Amino acid sequence: MTELADRINVLRDEVLDTVEQGDRDLPGAEVFEAVVRQLAALGDSSGHAGIDLTLHDAIARRLAWGDTEEAVLGDADRVFERLVKAVQRALRDPDDQIAVLETASDVLTAAARIVALSAVGRAGRDRSARLREELAQRRLREALTEQQTTLARLEQELKDSGL
Amino acid sequence: MTAARPALRIHGATHVGSVREANEDAMIVDEQVGLFAVFDGMGGAMAGDVASQKARDVVKEYVRARRGQMDPRAMLDAALNAASAAVHGEAQVRRDRRGMGTTAVVCLLLDDRRALIAHVGDSRAYLLRGGRLNQLTRDHTVVAELLAQNAITPEEAEVHAYRSVLSRNLGAKPDTRVDITEIELTRGDRLLLCSDGLYGFASTEAVQQLLGSTDAPEQVARDLIELALRGGGGDNVTVVVLEAGAAAVPRTTQLMRTSGSVSWWARRERFFEAARAAGVAQNPICAVLSPAEAIEIVAGNFVEALFHDLEKATTVNVWTYAENLAHGWLDRGGAWAPLRLILDILHHACGQVVADVRRDDADLALLIEAAVTRELTVCEMAVGGVLGEQLRAVDAALLKLYAERQVASEARAPGDGARPFVEQPTMPFLRNDRAPEPAGPEVRPVLDAALRVAVGRGGDAALHDLLTRLHRLAVDASPPAAVTVQARELFGVRQLEERAIAPVFDALDRARRALVDAISAGTAPPSAKVAAVRQLASASHGLAASMAGLVVEAAQPGAHKLREVVRETAALRAKVGKTEARVAELERRFATVYDPLAGKIAMDQAIADVGPSRPSAPGILARRRPGRETQR
Repeated sequence: MTELADRINVLRDEVLDTVEQGDRDLPGAEVFEAVVRQLAALGDSSGHAGIDLTLHDAIARRLAWGDTEEAVLGDADRVFERLVKAVQRALRDPDDQIAVLETASDVLTAAARIVALSAVGRAGRDRSARLREELAQRRLREALTEQQTTLARLEQELKDSGL
Repeated sequence: MTAARPALRIHGATHVGSVREANEDAMIVDEQVGLFAVFDGMGGAMAGDVASQKARDVVKEYVRARRGQMDPRAMLDAALNAASAAVHGEAQVRRDRRGMGTTAVVCLLLDDRRALIAHVGDSRAYLLRGGRLNQLTRDHTVVAELLAQNAITPEEAEVHAYRSVLSRNLGAKPDTRVDITEIELTRGDRLLLCSDGLYGFASTEAVQQLLGSTDAPEQVARDLIELALRGGGGDNVTVVVLEAGAAAVPRTTQLMRTSGSVSWWARRERFFEAARAAGVAQNPICAVLSPAEAIEIVAGNFVEALFHDLEKATTVNVWTYAENLAHGWLDRGGAWAPLRLILDILHHACGQVVADVRRDDADLALLIEAAVTRELTVCEMAVGGVLGEQLRAVDAALLKLYAERQVASEARAPGDGARPFVEQPTMPFLRNDRAPEPAGPEVRPVLDAALRVAVGRGGDAALHDLLTRLHRLAVDASPPAAVTVQARELFGVRQLEERAIAPVFDALDRARRALVDAISAGTAPPSAKVAAVRQLASASHGLAASMAGLVVEAAQPGAHKLREVVRETAALRAKVGKTEARVAELERRFATVYDPLAGKIAMDQAIADVGPSRPSAPGILARRRPGRETQR
């Protein structure tokens, strides 16, 4: 399958639309590269490719740099669409086509899963942060009550002193 | 009151102000002795003027009698102490004068180049040198003393409750501590002695600007008084302006006020001639006027306004002229171009007058040219202001029109107008513009067979459900909306946790692989197999992406809620900070007044300075700043 991976790799410009997007930081490149990696891995072990940590890292990095989940999924969708068309044109062997489509489906599902789990993680962090904020609010309210009592006392004392 | 020494020009002026009924300030301008001073009286019913005049007389007599016989520094110190004793003694004799006192700032010229500055209280001396204004005296107030000891910060000083309380004055005690400084005077220096009626109602920048002008001290003193009155004039105001090494030649401002304005007025016919030649009468603005009227009204008024401005060194007349001209024309709907043309004609005619002056006196022409350029700039600014007003009016009319049209269009089509530009919520990554490609006739049997095989291989009900859904989506090539519906049904109600979400994706993977395996193992033609796998891949991808979208969507409210909570916390924190600051301020006030251990205590210090005889005399302690009339 390494040969198939190479043949898919030459479709990079077409699938990632480098003419339009330039050749740096291409949207959806992480998905395409994951497909190529997985095709190469299939050739090595003829078994299951396992979890692609590189894809996981690439998506997590995009999200961390401020890309939205929608943008990541949208780019993956675009790459998938272009890959399907490119494969249909470039590969004659039906088995090769099926292998690439199946690999791409795997990668796309993995990407969706990573995005979903990252949203879950973020929701968890938001919940924790909210709890912390609510705790802080409680302390602040207590402090405010104490301050207001002190303020009232001081104002009364100053008033009593006639100044 | 003006005095002149060979190398000095001095002028003093005083004004009762706009609020007070009596002038409690006093001053000395004695050029023979070289003694100049400002006193600001206070305290008691109508006794402030008594205190200041008494102190003035004592100081004047003392210095006159002993000048040349005593060390000047010791003499000034003794003179002010004598004044303090005299005022104090007077206050002891009459009950209605109890608590009276006065500030003093005194300048004693030692020679043409040196002077002593002595002061008690908050009347000030400033020195203008090289365009920079320096305050020579430090106010003797409780707050200033605390500030000098770094006991409080400048910010605290501004809002300090005792910022008006004097720590020293003449009359509170028989003797007082006098601060004396010796200064060197260089040619062009200007010294200003003033009461707080000036600096309390005029900014330091404005004082600096007036003092730094090239006008004579008389004019400067008059302008400073006027400045304080324009600033409210809430107190008596007294100024003494001394100029060292006055220039023998007339200054540019004076020259413009006299020769410049006269020269301009004398050449007005030249201006009219130039304006006439440039076609002022043919301008549309003058369409309803005869040529003579056009010259008289447009050119004549400009010449007159500029003459008055040159004479008074202002720009107000020309500003008014330009504003009237612009309003008169633009308010009638006139266009901008003729107005621009008129300004150009005035500019051109001014140039002709300047050229005329230059033939006689190049220096004066340069001055007039600079002044006229300034005036023309002011004209442009005034016209620009009117244009700005017009544009704002047009904007307001347009906005109103737009709002009316919106209301009208919404009334015509309430359904359409309700949310004209808001897209219906959707999942942006599911591209509605991509037309789904339905499976060809040869694909459906392949997919049906694959489903049968996959279901036949066993598995639980959930897997069978997923197989069926994937099959349906692949066969129908469903649009994104249908895919989302399928995803919602599949997703159901779940906790936003990894252990609840991950199995759905795993199941989807398993289902798709089962179907692809079944297709691969089938006997259908290869092209049909490829087409079936393609359909299946699309369906699987759509379903996975939709489910991810649902998870993202479900996580959104938590993020919104967190933002709200963070905002609430920030508001609460700000509130706590504000209350904390208020508590600290009150505690500081409280400690400043009552805490005997605090050391740098305003009240104690004030009382100590005033003397033990009347520790609570309000007239002394409650020395006011301008505007705090009730404390006086």
